[in-house]
Amino acid sequence: MTIDTHGLTRENLLEIDYFLRLTRTLEERLVALFRQAKVIGGLYRSLGQEGESVAAAYALDYALGDVVQPLIRNMGSILVAGAKPADIIKQYMAKGDSPTRGRELNIHFGHPARDGFIGQISMLGDMIPVMAGIVLAGRMQKRNLVGMAFIGDGASSTGAFYEGMNFATVQRLPLVVVLENNGYAYSTPTSKQSAVKSLADKAQAFGCASETVDGNDVLATYAAAKRAVERGREGGGVTLIEAKTFRMKGHAEHDNQSYVPQALIEEWSAKDPVVRFEAALVEAGIATAAEFESIQSRVRREVDAATDEAERSPMPRPEEAGMGLFAGDGYWEAKEG
Amino acid sequence: MPQMGESIAEGTVVKWLKKPGEKVERDEPLLEISTDKVDAEIPSPASGTLAEILAQEGQTVGVNSVVARITAAGEAAAPAPTPAAHAPSAPAAQAPSAPPPPAPAAPPVAPPPPPTTPPPPAPKPAPQPEAAAPTGQPSNPATQQPSNPVTPQPRDPETAQPRDPAPAQPRDPDSLDERRRTKSSPLVRKIAQENNVDISRIQGSGVSGRVTKNDIIDFMQRPSPAATQQPPAAEQPAPASRPAAMTFTPGENNRIEPLSVMRKKIAQHMVLSKQTSAHVTTVFEVDFTNIDKLRRRYKDAYAERGAKLTFLPFVIQAIVAGLREFPVINASMDESSVIYHRDLNIGIAVALEWGLIVPVVKNADEKNILGLSKAINDLGERARTKKLTPDDVQGGTFTITNPGIYGGLFGTPIINQPQVAILGVGGVKKRPVVVETKEGDVIAIRSMCILSLTFDHRLIDGAIADQFMASVRAFIEAGQFTL
Amino acid sequence: MAETTYLDAIREAMIEEMRRDPRVFLIGEDVGAYGGAFKTSAGMIEEFGAERVIDTPISEVAIVGAASGAALMGMRPIAEMQFIDFITCAYDILVNFTATSRYRVGSPCPIVIRGPAGGGTHGGPFHSLNPEAMFMNRPGLKIVAPGTAYDAKGLLKAAVRDDDPVLFIEHKYLYRRIKEELPTEDYIVPIGKANVRRSGSDLTIITWGSMIYVADDAAAELAKDGVSVEVIDLRSIIPFDEEAILNSVAKTNRVIILHEAPLTGGAGAEFAARIAEKAFDYLDAPIKRVAALDVPTPYSPPLEAAALPDKARLLAAARELLAY
Repeated sequence: MTIDTHGLTRENLLEIDYFLRLTRTLEERLVALFRQAKVIGGLYRSLGQEGESVAAAYALDYALGDVVQPLIRNMGSILVAGAKPADIIKQYMAKGDSPTRGRELNIHFGHPARDGFIGQISMLGDMIPVMAGIVLAGRMQKRNLVGMAFIGDGASSTGAFYEGMNFATVQRLPLVVVLENNGYAYSTPTSKQSAVKSLADKAQAFGCASETVDGNDVLATYAAAKRAVERGREGGGVTLIEAKTFRMKGHAEHDNQSYVPQALIEEWSAKDPVVRFEAALVEAGIATAAEFESIQSRVRREVDAATDEAERSPMPRPEEAGMGLFAGDGYWEAKEG
Repeated sequence: MPQMGESIAEGTVVKWLKKPGEKVERDEPLLEISTDKVDAEIPSPASGTLAEILAQEGQTVGVNSVVARITAAGEAAAPAPTPAAHAPSAPAAQAPSAPPPPAPAAPPVAPPPPPTTPPPPAPKPAPQPEAAAPTGQPSNPATQQPSNPVTPQPRDPETAQPRDPAPAQPRDPDSLDERRRTKSSPLVRKIAQENNVDISRIQGSGVSGRVTKNDIIDFMQRPSPAATQQPPAAEQPAPASRPAAMTFTPGENNRIEPLSVMRKKIAQHMVLSKQTSAHVTTVFEVDFTNIDKLRRRYKDAYAERGAKLTFLPFVIQAIVAGLREFPVINASMDESSVIYHRDLNIGIAVALEWGLIVPVVKNADEKNILGLSKAINDLGERARTKKLTPDDVQGGTFTITNPGIYGGLFGTPIINQPQVAILGVGGVKKRPVVVETKEGDVIAIRSMCILSLTFDHRLIDGAIADQFMASVRAFIEAGQFTL
Repeated sequence: MAETTYLDAIREAMIEEMRRDPRVFLIGEDVGAYGGAFKTSAGMIEEFGAERVIDTPISEVAIVGAASGAALMGMRPIAEMQFIDFITCAYDILVNFTATSRYRVGSPCPIVIRGPAGGGTHGGPFHSLNPEAMFMNRPGLKIVAPGTAYDAKGLLKAAVRDDDPVLFIEHKYLYRRIKEELPTEDYIVPIGKANVRRSGSDLTIITWGSMIYVADDAAAELAKDGVSVEVIDLRSIIPFDEEAILNSVAKTNRVIILHEAPLTGGAGAEFAARIAEKAFDYLDAPIKRVAALDVPTPYSPPLEAAALPDKARLLAAARELLAY
């Protein structure tokens, strides 16, 4: 049976699988570390959403300077952009040599120009105008870069989301906004979040293009993202993609999501994006289970190595707490060791 | 209320000489006042009718406060020469002037030594240390107002605080006014600490009598010794160091009369002096016969010139000669230095019906007997008629008092701070004494006088004191006066 | 030589910086075609084009957010708030994202946010804000408030060139009332340095913005009484010139902090506490603040004048201190 791979080669597809498994395995390792009290603060999984995170981010061309902005459930997207697993574990363990030197938590890190990704802030919606500014700068610098911002169903209620979308659209900026509708914002179901029938309909408020896609279908999500990225790169402005998916775990490790009907969880666990993707590839004869095992071994080795590196890292020095607020003390410019 | 001296901040109305409704002429005496330095009769500034008395007899008000209004004929009340400052109310409105009774009514006990010795008030710059009360302290802790151009003088009544120099009533140590006065500001405390100055000895020009930066700097720049580091001034009653006070209630056997301003001042100054100096009295018997002879010879001639000739000018000349020879007795001291006064300003204690005052004969060494006599007479007369000026009572370096005036043998006077010695002249009596002659010892009738010198043993040892007295005696007995 | 108004000094600074550095651009509401609500950016879109003088929707969050994103990518945006009061609409993104970007993740975010602040123009409660205190306690944002045309130009240039975000508070009352001869050559006023506007020995007045002229007037009047007043124009609120403040207090021993914003929790409280902490031994009187009443700025002239600090209130405070 053939499947439409939307221009992706076999290497691409295997690489996508690698990122899917890397995301999942890395998060499982983080859960273990969390239960060993080695992770400081909360732990947020993207179980069930690895598909749309990886697939959408894979549609960007980082060599051109494209920038992806994840939310908490898009770790897969920054792995695609090149984030190192060791850095992510160090961030979660609050280590002194994490990319933010212990100042920011989980995946709140990354510099758009240097890394191709930028971490969010907790005030949801704020990153939309920031991403608009990033791609605006790209245009001013005569670079044809595209930005991709993830936003949740809950965050799409914020004023910042509306202001950012409105501004980006009226400026015709090359911005792809992946609205991952996973059914819940913490404990609030989408039905309480907004009265629109389909969140993609919000695009009409701004006048931008939109599309709705099965977020648990890796290839379909990739295709939608690719269309949107091309539109932006060709001057067509903003696209709002609603990726329908489901949050398989609670909001964080401390949340057992007892407010979610069990039937819903069971329904969506049958639609696991990684399982579906691998099954489709096997069925199409593009890859084998053994290859996936091999990818998994590699992933495991990498995650182990990353864990070891992170565990060896020191905690930050307390005397540095007051440094690095403004330029001038050279804190960020000086390299450690 | 006029300001009768640079550091005076308040005055007490003693007696109104006119009643409301009475006509008054310009310069006509209108009222009598009492201040820390002098008592005085105040003439009316204008002609007209005394319309209203605003400060009653016995009331103490701040300088420049309006005490009365005079209307010219057919006019509205003359505007006050200066806006009214807030007048601290009479003693009756404040804490009672008697010390608070101890909790259990204890019988009087011998006063325990005070836990700390209050300092002498800051002395005036040499060579004119202040002497306002007879043997006690100068009435105000030293300095004059600093030259602070903005100090509203008089103050805006809405924002002003009453000046609070030497108050007539006890202070509440925890009141805001008192805290300001004793703690001033961080800056002033720092300056005080670095320079060993006791803030409470300085007259403050700030709110509540606070010592300002300018106050303390002016104080330190005066050529006077820095104060010793002593706890708060004697003006504070410090009930803790008092003996258990006796309380009196009006009744059949007691009549209670409030103390006058002067009496309170005298009381404070006497105690303070005793607590400051190491008082020792040395007693010398002096043959006054030569003085007596001179006095009788020149008495009438002097009387014609309007100068009553007493023993005193002769004693002064002898003292002056002695002080020249022993300048340490014409000095003041602090914790670390002696201040020798160049001028010889002799204070003469004058007994008044209502108290004591010590006018000063300035530069007594420059006067002959006639000059001294005239000066003494003049000062005494003006003291009795309340016409002394503040300058008359300032700047003394040595004091002479006359405990023998009513016939006593000798006295043990209290030193007039910040001086270091005081001479008491006992009664001059005819006595049989042994006189050594070439022919041998004979008994003669001589006019004898006992001179007692109380000196401050902190500075002056007995040997010096006695040598000084011996010199004075020799001078007197030699009879070589500059008439 | 011609004089330049405070407002034109700001425009000159923007134009000169945009000519000097192609990374500098202006973004805000009505800044382009209209030349700015106060005409502060008149002529700029004609010179630099719509790409560098960007008219936005009414969207302070988008203005500040987009400027921040662009700054991360190496641009040097000047984001205008039509009235600085509207910075409150973008408070979240400014203090949470922009101001913290370097400290949190090591990403410098050098934007300038500028806009007209202050009262005295009968603008009413929503057009009279003095915002410095609202931001002082959110580390990572520099705050400057020039009072002269010279300082406006020099500080705006310094702000544009600064590698960190700067809130540039311009006082609308001064826009056309202040005229000065300015140097033609390029100059900056360093952020963090106060200016001793008037030297004195009896009393220090620490102030900024339009209040420097109130301080000047009061000082001149007190001089008639022989009082020598030192007036310190802070110019920068964060960072502020602590040394200049302490040196002055050590000299005069009496200090008033004067600001147009309301008293409680105003910037003056920080300076007063700092003085009390570090110059305690030099104080010969309590530290006083003269500031607006703790109310929103009212509209009607007699109310506004009563709410805002003025020379009379300043003189009363000064006299109280001098008599202490």
